[in-house]
Amino acid sequence: MTTLLKAHELRHSFGATPALDGVSLEVRRHEILAVVGESGSGKTTLLNVLAGRMNADQGTVHYHDGANLRSLSELGERELHRLQRARWGFVEQNPRAALRLNITAGGNIGERLMAAGDRHYGNIRAIATHWLEQVEIDPKRLDDLPMNFSGGMLQRLQIARMLVTEPELVFMDEPTGGLDASVQARVLDLIRSLVRRLGLAVVLVTHDIGVARLLADRLIVMRQGLIVESGLTDQVLDDPHHAYTQLLVSSVLPA
Amino acid sequence: MKGYNFAYLDENTKRMIRRAILKAVAIPGHQIPFASREMPLPYGWGTGGIQITAALLGMSDVLKVIDQGADDTTNAISIRRFFALTAGVATTTHTAGASLIQTRHRIPETPLRQDQILIYQVPMPEPLYRLEPNKSAAMRLHALADYGAMHVKLYEDITRFGRVATAYNHPVMVNRRYLMSPSPIPAYDNPKLHRMPALQLFGAGREQRIYAVPPYTEVRSLDFVDYPFHPGRAQHNCSQCGSDDSYLDEVITDNDGGRLFLCSDTDFCQNRQKAAK
Ligand SMILES: Nc1ncnc2c1ncn2[C@@H]1O[C@H](COP(=O)(O)OP(=O)(O)O)[C@@H](O)[C@H]1O
Ligand SMILES: [Mg+2]
Repeated sequence: MTTLLKAHELRHSFGATPALDGVSLEVRRHEILAVVGESGSGKTTLLNVLAGRMNADQGTVHYHDGANLRSLSELGERELHRLQRARWGFVEQNPRAALRLNITAGGNIGERLMAAGDRHYGNIRAIATHWLEQVEIDPKRLDDLPMNFSGGMLQRLQIARMLVTEPELVFMDEPTGGLDASVQARVLDLIRSLVRRLGLAVVLVTHDIGVARLLADRLIVMRQGLIVESGLTDQVLDDPHHAYTQLLVSSVLPA
Repeated sequence: MKGYNFAYLDENTKRMIRRAILKAVAIPGHQIPFASREMPLPYGWGTGGIQITAALLGMSDVLKVIDQGADDTTNAISIRRFFALTAGVATTTHTAGASLIQTRHRIPETPLRQDQILIYQVPMPEPLYRLEPNKSAAMRLHALADYGAMHVKLYEDITRFGRVATAYNHPVMVNRRYLMSPSPIPAYDNPKLHRMPALQLFGAGREQRIYAVPPYTEVRSLDFVDYPFHPGRAQHNCSQCGSDDSYLDEVITDNDGGRLFLCSDTDFCQNRQKAAK
């Protein structure tokens, strides 16, 4: 499998706190990479740096655009922005932060299409309807405001809004973290089937080993800004080598 | 007038404004900041337009000032008088006879020429301000030409009302690059912005911005392929001149719901009436 994203020796501190302390990794096309670790271990910081939302103090992130490996810092703001709005996607833990709650479901899903230049109202609606179906929301809700949606529906709407440009790489930060356990299972199932069907590459941040086990091909375990262990999900979880991973797997650590 | 410089503003201020105008002309539709001065009239009365006019007026210019199309409203009369006093320039109500036209919320019906300049008074220059109230965030969106959110608003209008619901101040793309507020002109006037032979300048005094549409520049009203922009107009004739294609104001005439429609452009209407006699 070809490399899609490559991070080299990322370091970042907030004041005296080292959030990333020399992190290198690769994300391959069509694979799901989970980043696990306790709260404060640097997962969100890593995700933001990988997604070009934040610059690390040191280190590089390269993206393979199909032809070349290109450094994010050399892309320029405009090209990076375009990448983020079309070929990449980001799923926030809190869908309310990503969605426009006073805009209809259709308008929310259509925004990325319109930003990319689609100027056909009927076409935008047809595509939005398709994606509502894909995330198992009744297409009759197309013209409803998300204000009245349940938490699980909001999260699925956020996913539809992001998938509408058919991205190849998606970043997710605790995508089910804010949901009730019963709702979580459904959203996870949905993510799993969509990701496989669409052949997405995903970087998934979670503190929940169960989520990683369900979704991820590969896993990296972070602690205090460092990768302490990585490998195929089943191997790492069934036979953890590092003492910290062993604690995580036996769920002794607080989330 | 004694004690004042020609056209009220001092020459250094005029040069500063002219520099902003030159930048604005060089980047059509892009808002240029300028050091807006206090003027002897309140914000909202056209302080931005007046400063542009003051910076451009020469001795031989002929000035026309309109407010919603009319030459005879308080605002138009005071601005015209202000420049007659401070610059001693000739003024006129005839569109064809003016070299400089300062306007609030209308474009004259009579087509403008290459040797004329149209100066708009602008209350809010930022077309994205409702969608993105943070000014520096809005500037980034302009820099990235990311106008998806503006189209989302049009999408929502069509979804809710069956059509685009902006009767005034309908946003335009200038030279295929910058999203621009045409100031609160009726949508009816938007097509006149497109490839106009006259230079169009926009001044916002309170917001300290100047922007421009150079002669013959492409100006497109935002729309969808299947919901094309259509400028609205009351389906009536002017009760004075009978025009069936000018922009009309509705006037209530009594307490019993009596009303009539009149050209909003008073000069256009009077010319037609004279010609008919
Ligand atoms: N904006 C910030 N300002 C200061 N410290 C921060 C900021 N963001 C994260 N940190 C600190 O950096 C470390 C890593 O945080 P984070 O990446 O959010 O970890 P995680 O997502 O694994 O919980 C923590 O010690 C956290 O307190
Ligand atoms: Mg986090």
